[in-house]
Amino acid sequence: MKRAPIVAVLTLVASQAVADPDPDSEPAPRKPDATAGEMFGGPFTSSRLFAMPVADVVGAYMFSASFDGSLLQQPGVLTSEGVFAAGFGDLAQLEYRHTEVVSVTGVDAPVPTVGVELKLPLPTSPNVPAIAIAYRQGLSRGEQFDASTVTEKVTDLYVVMRERFALAPWLTLHAGLRYSPTQISVSGGGTAKASLVLPTGGIELAMNKRARLIAEAALVPSFTLAPSDPVIGRAVLGRFGLRWSVIPAISLDASVGYQLDTEAADAGSGPRDLVQQWDIRLGAEVFVPWGALACRALGVFCE
Amino acid sequence: MKHTWTMIVVCALAGAAHAQPAGSGTDTGSGSAAVQDPYAVPPKPTPKPPDGAAPTMTTSAPDAPATVESSPAKPKPPEPPRAPDPDIGMPQLIATPTGWLLPAMVLYSRTGLDTSGGFTSDERVGLGDVAEFGVSTLDDVRSKNGYLDSPSAIQPYFAASFRIGVSEDRLFANQPGLVLGFRKSFSENDNGVSSRIAELTLVASKRFTPNVSLHLGYAFWDASLEGGSIAQLDGANGTALDHRSDHGLLDQLRPFGGIEIKPFPRSEIIADVAWAPVFCYACVDTRDQIEMSAELSWGVRYKATPWLFLESGVHVFDINNANLLDAQIYGQVTFVSWGLRHAVDSIR
Repeated sequence: MKRAPIVAVLTLVASQAVADPDPDSEPAPRKPDATAGEMFGGPFTSSRLFAMPVADVVGAYMFSASFDGSLLQQPGVLTSEGVFAAGFGDLAQLEYRHTEVVSVTGVDAPVPTVGVELKLPLPTSPNVPAIAIAYRQGLSRGEQFDASTVTEKVTDLYVVMRERFALAPWLTLHAGLRYSPTQISVSGGGTAKASLVLPTGGIELAMNKRARLIAEAALVPSFTLAPSDPVIGRAVLGRFGLRWSVIPAISLDASVGYQLDTEAADAGSGPRDLVQQWDIRLGAEVFVPWGALACRALGVFCE
Repeated sequence: MKHTWTMIVVCALAGAAHAQPAGSGTDTGSGSAAVQDPYAVPPKPTPKPPDGAAPTMTTSAPDAPATVESSPAKPKPPEPPRAPDPDIGMPQLIATPTGWLLPAMVLYSRTGLDTSGGFTSDERVGLGDVAEFGVSTLDDVRSKNGYLDSPSAIQPYFAASFRIGVSEDRLFANQPGLVLGFRKSFSENDNGVSSRIAELTLVASKRFTPNVSLHLGYAFWDASLEGGSIAQLDGANGTALDHRSDHGLLDQLRPFGGIEIKPFPRSEIIADVAWAPVFCYACVDTRDQIEMSAELSWGVRYKATPWLFLESGVHVFDINNANLLDAQIYGQVTFVSWGLRHAVDSIR
């Protein structure tokens, strides 16, 4: 019994020695004489996997723009998602983010939101999870469907957790829960409202210094018209692929996505319908250390 | 007993702590990097000052170039010549994918013509040493009007592909290269009928000797037809290989494979068996509107230069019907470029 505290302390010490806890613990230097290599040499922290938000913020004096898109899911339709995040101190970020929804047209549609994400100030160490809370105010997304105009809106309250393991530093797990007041209205038709609780999860495997395999799955709101009155339900979106840091300030994404359309599943297609339910997305994330750039160019925001 | 378990746990944790490198700062996200990059550029050797004092190396970030602080400004020694680029495992045999991936930022371009006028082009880029992305135009998706017609290629037929996997011997000794690939076409219109194809593949490639390699895999196919006479037959939604009323699950599953034999240092004999959909626009039975057809190909690949490969051979469609009349002779040229890789390495 006496040895239990000793083991606990040694475990903590060992876990501290495994890895530098957080890449965002070393922000880009904001010095008037900083070189481009220093400013853009990173490390940079992303606030998303593919579509799933993670319990990290981009950091102070940092801006991140990311976008993934595909023309493959439905002919002539660009399906996409994007995040524009500006660090607000070390623990928060303001963001414009596309939250995921399956629209009345049956494709994964980007519904815009603006919000703030707050990372809880927990000790940054392996085996200690990072937790963040985000609130995103939904913005209306209009869509023409046959002769009707459909307006969709989703607001999110998101709690997300990230867990790394001292004994497996190549593995990171993510889990989140999304509470989404959701609304759809059809011109000349009705309006539907629902509050959904939607779990989400993800896994990262570091394959080498710059590349990570990522898989994520989420329940998302889905909108249907039956036949003219809107109905709000749930759909499954999954995605797996690669995030690759080409240079520290630029990451490339490539992934295969799967969308479980419940109607298709009822009709007998489901996952075997590769043509309709699966797609390939490409994307990128660019980090801009605007604080370091402003310091270098104008002498403001320096450390 | 408790003491023993305590020691085991402590030793395991301490061992892990020493065995694992510190988290790499190059990680742009939340994952730490513990696996060594097999294609990583080796660190430049630190020149030793003439006075024998040990140089100080500081790195602002792991990817940033190391700077050596030495008091007197000495002229830099000339850069050692770059090692020749290694040979790569080709990601495509003739018509089938292999279990080998392009190294990161290596560009691959293959263009081919055959005696029926079929044109193919395949452009790919390696991503992170574990994946690749490509766009291509195909000549093996074919269509016919009636049962007795001879199919002809629908061209152009554009597709995008994404493949992800692990290289050979990466996880354990003698592990074959394993790649999970997904290819999906854009919608193509032919005679008023719109078609699409998609293919999910899992392939393993093993180099048994330096001169003999084997590739085996399974493909899960899907294809759809919409519009024209198809809509009249099967309703507005058209027909698809995944419609259970028309096709069983086994209709979508197809094995494929191939072999490479290298009798000379620059020459390879290659052969493979692949599958591709054939659409029949006027077939009455919806089950016959989409059929999978086997293809046999064989040929020779010649490495003209480290970046240029010439290839020629024979492509036999419909080997399940022993249809040699439709056999085509093809020629292909393949370029492999490490230029982008070197450019990115120099930026890093």
